[in-house]
Amino acid sequence: MSPPQQPSSTNPNSLKIRLTHRFLHNLNNLNKKRSNLDNTQIHRRSHRVKLAAYASMARVVGSRRAWSRAILWKIRNRKVFTRNKRVDHKTTHHHHLARSIKRRTTNHSNHKREYVDPNGNSGQEVKLRKLVPGVETMDACGLLDETADYIKCLATQVEVMRNLVDLYSTI
Amino acid sequence: MSSRRTRTTRTREHDIDDLVSKLQALLPSSSSSCKRTTVPSSKILEETCNYIKSLRRKGDNLGERLSQLLDSMENNGVDVSIIKDLLQP
Repeated sequence: MSPPQQPSSTNPNSLKIRLTHRFLHNLNNLNKKRSNLDNTQIHRRSHRVKLAAYASMARVVGSRRAWSRAILWKIRNRKVFTRNKRVDHKTTHHHHLARSIKRRTTNHSNHKREYVDPNGNSGQEVKLRKLVPGVETMDACGLLDETADYIKCLATQVEVMRNLVDLYSTI
Repeated sequence: MSSRRTRTTRTREHDIDDLVSKLQALLPSSSSSCKRTTVPSSKILEETCNYIKSLRRKGDNLGERLSQLLDSMENNGVDVSIIKDLLQP
């Protein structure tokens, strides 16, 4: 499976390089802490590697993006963050994506009705809001913009990790 | 044409169309097929959701492999910080 073409808007080489350095830095810190753990903590370590990956993604992007801010906030409040946090879908300035979707699909027959929640969001949009951190109360334009940036960074992070795995496995 | 549609609404829908096509360009399936036809945005959103999920899965798998590799490297006495120095320009 070949990785997607890197768009030229953000300099992809510098993003990859910055991600690599930051991820290695986080891994290093991980290893220093880990010297007290024994081998039964394998699960915790792989969980920490995942956290390090997300943390390095968010740290490199900084507070420029809603998703990175959300991740950084979650990491800082990891102990306090409860699962009971309810998300209110505010309808103040939502230009509902569902309307544009219906406009674009008028020529195609939908055999099953698209799920639309009480706020007018389609099922896909709701799923997307759950997948991308920090976009629960964003309008449709912002949501799409954040999703594009999130995908770019995720893909680059995966590439960095793949390169590291290849590198480490040859040593 | 609904007369209630103001110019603002129309420009915003054009903006959304632009954003959706940019999103489509990021998805892996778009680079393989050279179709210029309009794909319904619900399909694009669905593919985006699936792509994000698959990227996360790949990241998690790579993270597990990485942690196993680090573990075996530590046991063999290799210091990870050496690698970092090697990668520095």
